[in-house]
This record gives sequence, structure tokens and C-alpha cells, in this order.
Amino acid sequence: MTPVLECINLTHYYGKRKIYENLSFKVPHGRILGLLGKNGTGKTTTINILSGYLKPRSGECRIFGENTDNISPATRRRIGLLLEGHVQYQFMNICQIEKFYSAFYPGQWRKEAFYELMNKLKVAPRQPISRMSNGQRSQVALGLILAQNPDLLILDDFSLGLDPGYRRLFSDYLRDYARAEEKTVFLTSHIIQDMERLIDDCIIMDYGRILTQQPVKTLLGSLRRYTCRVPEGYTPQLPEELCHPNVTRGVMDFCSFLSMEKVEQILAEKTVSYSGLTAEKMNLEDAFIGLTGKY
Amino acid sequence: MIQAIFYKEWIKLHRYVLLALAVTVAMTGYCMLRIDRAMELNGAAHIWEVMVMKDAIFIDSLEYVPLIAGILAALVQFMPEMQRKCLKLTLHLPCPQKKMLFTMSGTGALLLLLCFAANFALMLGYLGSVLPRELVCNILSAAAPWYLAGLAAYLLTSWICLEPTWKMRIFNILVAALIIRVYFLGSAPKAYNGFLPWLTLYTLALSLLSWISVVRFKAGRQD
Repeated sequence: MTPVLECINLTHYYGKRKIYENLSFKVPHGRILGLLGKNGTGKTTTINILSGYLKPRSGECRIFGENTDNISPATRRRIGLLLEGHVQYQFMNICQIEKFYSAFYPGQWRKEAFYELMNKLKVAPRQPISRMSNGQRSQVALGLILAQNPDLLILDDFSLGLDPGYRRLFSDYLRDYARAEEKTVFLTSHIIQDMERLIDDCIIMDYGRILTQQPVKTLLGSLRRYTCRVPEGYTPQLPEELCHPNVTRGVMDFCSFLSMEKVEQILAEKTVSYSGLTAEKMNLEDAFIGLTGKY
Repeated sequence: MIQAIFYKEWIKLHRYVLLALAVTVAMTGYCMLRIDRAMELNGAAHIWEVMVMKDAIFIDSLEYVPLIAGILAALVQFMPEMQRKCLKLTLHLPCPQKKMLFTMSGTGALLLLLCFAANFALMLGYLGSVLPRELVCNILSAAAPWYLAGLAAYLLTSWICLEPTWKMRIFNILVAALIIRVYFLGSAPKAYNGFLPWLTLYTLALSLLSWISVVRFKAGRQD
């Protein structure tokens, strides 16, 4: 089955600064995929390429089989796009924006889905979007996407500027909608804890490359945080499989996909004088920090 | 779909268009009043003589009004599109992007032209009642390049506003200033008479420039 969204050997630079090289991934139908990465790793760059607002240095992205360089209106009709910061036309109010968008989606526009969400906001229908809070604006943007009823949702940093209540409201609404209607979602966010409730698969990016791409359940089922005691002043020099070792007050921690036996073997090979090695499961945020490091 | 685009542009522009209409009509009315007063004081024959012998047109204070009206119209219409890159939303709508852009600028140009047409109607209505046909033509043909400059200023400012990088915007401003200069080479009656049709075509051709900015925007050009 053709993936809904596919990037093939994507390479991009801003001037001489490499953002990434040969980035490839696919999003199959009905999956919610989260692109996780620190600031500057290329999340928004990827969204811009996917939505046709940036030409990559090389490689290509395809949505519903169409190159994103030049997406046809018929394909754009099937894509719901949320821009970073829930950007919407500030000069319109709720009624005007609904009336405006509905004209572009005849036969698929669900006015009631928009107003159902808007009724939860305590704003007057004629209040301009420019005078709404970030949280209220996020709900307007989400309401418009739900009303559009697209097959694919592309959401850039949906949690930016939202308080915990609105973040939760946004992600719960989105998750229920996407699962119930078998929608495909590709999203990015800085707030990893919200992603755990929402996404099926994740791509964790570091500067210039993908660290891992797998279902969240598999990732959290296989990645472990290892902790052990080491002598004071020990400076870790471990292979890449033991990610981002960090020593604080004689306690070293790192994360790895390897089993306890394999980790013990590596530590022994590196003649690390350790004791009390323990392994524990992690949540997605800890896994993200474990794989990308704190700095 | 076109109605929806017009609706969005109308929301942005309606207050400005009403204001521009009121201001430009008031200024045109002021010029007509000046002519009326001069005729009362010096007699119509003297005014006609001055107009014929000295190429006076009595509406010089309108010279830059359409230009300013055009620049402001484009700023009011296209600055909200560039705020936080709202243009991405517009170009993402399921409508051919050229059609979207030209309907947007067509709406702005149409509203501006309606405003200018009201000015011309006022001039034609008053001047036609007090001046011979040839003198009315002299005044209107002298004013025509100014109003075309207003339309050109609107199209050029749209091009500048939609441009995604500041470096290129500054270059565009310089180019626009040179282009606009063509409309103000002389204010004598009939100075542009043979050239007016070409100037009109030249003005209409400027509408294509904003597509260049959109192409650059889509390519993700940044400072």
C-alpha cells in the first residue's frame, strides 16, 4: 500500500549549515507519527518542505503520491495544515473564518464540528481572532481542521504557547478524532509528554540525522535507562550504543536499546569500575532526553 | 470560491476603501471648489484663458493622492497576509495558486479603481458643467497618469509586501521608485496623450510581478 506521506533522501542546508542529509521516512495510512527533536534539528524545515513552502537541496517528499514541490488543489483539499503558533487570519472573527473556509471544501466541510468546539470557548462569535488568547486561537485552528475533515493532518508544534489545559484539550480531541476516523497525522511538538498520549510512531531527530524511527510502544518497550555507581572523577568514554552517559556525584546513567547482559559486557570490555547496575523503563520524554542528551 | 476570496479581501479592505473614497472625493471636491471660486472672482473667460495659454489644470494638489491611496491599499491588504506567514494558509487552500493571487490583487485593484472612478465622475460632473469639452479633456488627461500611478503603486507595493526577504524588498522598492517615476514625467495637459494606452498596458503588466514574490515565498527564500 502506498504510504500517505513519504520523504526520500531529503537533504537540506541553510547556507552552509547542514540541517539533515538523506532523511527518509514514511507515514502509512491511519497512523499518527510524531517528529521529535530539539530546537534547530529541522522539524519545521521538514513541515515546510512537506507543505510545499521550501525546496529541499535534494531529495523529495510525496503526499498521496504527489511531489510536494507542486501539490495540486485536489490534494491540498485532503491535507489539513496547522502552522506553528496556530496562525490564522487575525482580522477575521469565528463566523467569518468559518464562512470563508467552508467555501473551499464543498461536500466535506463539517460546520457542526467547528461550532461544537467553538461553543466550548467563552468568546463572542464576533470577537476578532486577534483579540483571542493563544489557547483560544489553538481551538479555532483545530476546529477549522476538524471541519475540513482532511485525510492527512500536518501539525507544526501544536503545543507551542498553550497552557497545560489547552494542550490536553487539543491532544485529546485530536487523538479521538484521528483514531475514530482513521486519519493520518504527522506532527511535531516541543512538549514530549503530550506526544506520548497521542502518537503511534515516532521519529527522534538529532542534528543532521534520525536517531530512531519506530512505534512508541516498541521504543518504550526496548529502551532502558541504566544506572550504576562509578568512582568519583570517572569520565565516561563509552560506545555510541550506550547513549549520552552522564556522571553526577558518582552515579552514572545512560540509556540503551541493549540488554542488561550486553551492557555489562561492554562496561567490562571498557574496564569500567562500576557497581549496582540497574535498568528501568522510561516514559517518552525520558527516552527522548536519553537519546538526544540534555545539551 | 472566487466569492470567498473576495469576501476575505473585503474584510481586510472595506474600512480602508471607505476612508480612501471619502478622502480622495473630499480632495477632488476641494479642487473643484477652488476652480469654482476662481471663476467667481475672475470670471470664467479669464480662467479658460489661463488654462489654454498657461496650461493650468487647477487640480495639481491631487497629483500624489492616488499614489498614496494605492500604496496604502496594498499595505492594508497584504501586510496581514505576511504577518506570521499567513500567506501559507492562503496558498494551502484548494484553489489554483495563480488564480488565488490574481483574484486577491484583482479585488484590491477593483476597489481602488472604484474609488478613483468616483473621483473622475466628480471631476467630469462639475468640470463638464463649467468648462468646454476640450478643457475638461485636458484636465482629465493630465490626471490620468496620476491615477494610473495609483494603480501601479498598488501593484508594486503588493509585489514588495509579498516578497519574503528584506534584502530583495529593498531592491524592489528601488525598482518600484524608478517605475513610478515614469508616471510623473510631466503634468502639462496632453503630455501623455499618445502614450496613455501604452502606459495602461505597462501598468497592467505590473500585476505579474507579485507572482514572482509568491514563487520566492514558496521556495522558502529567507534573509
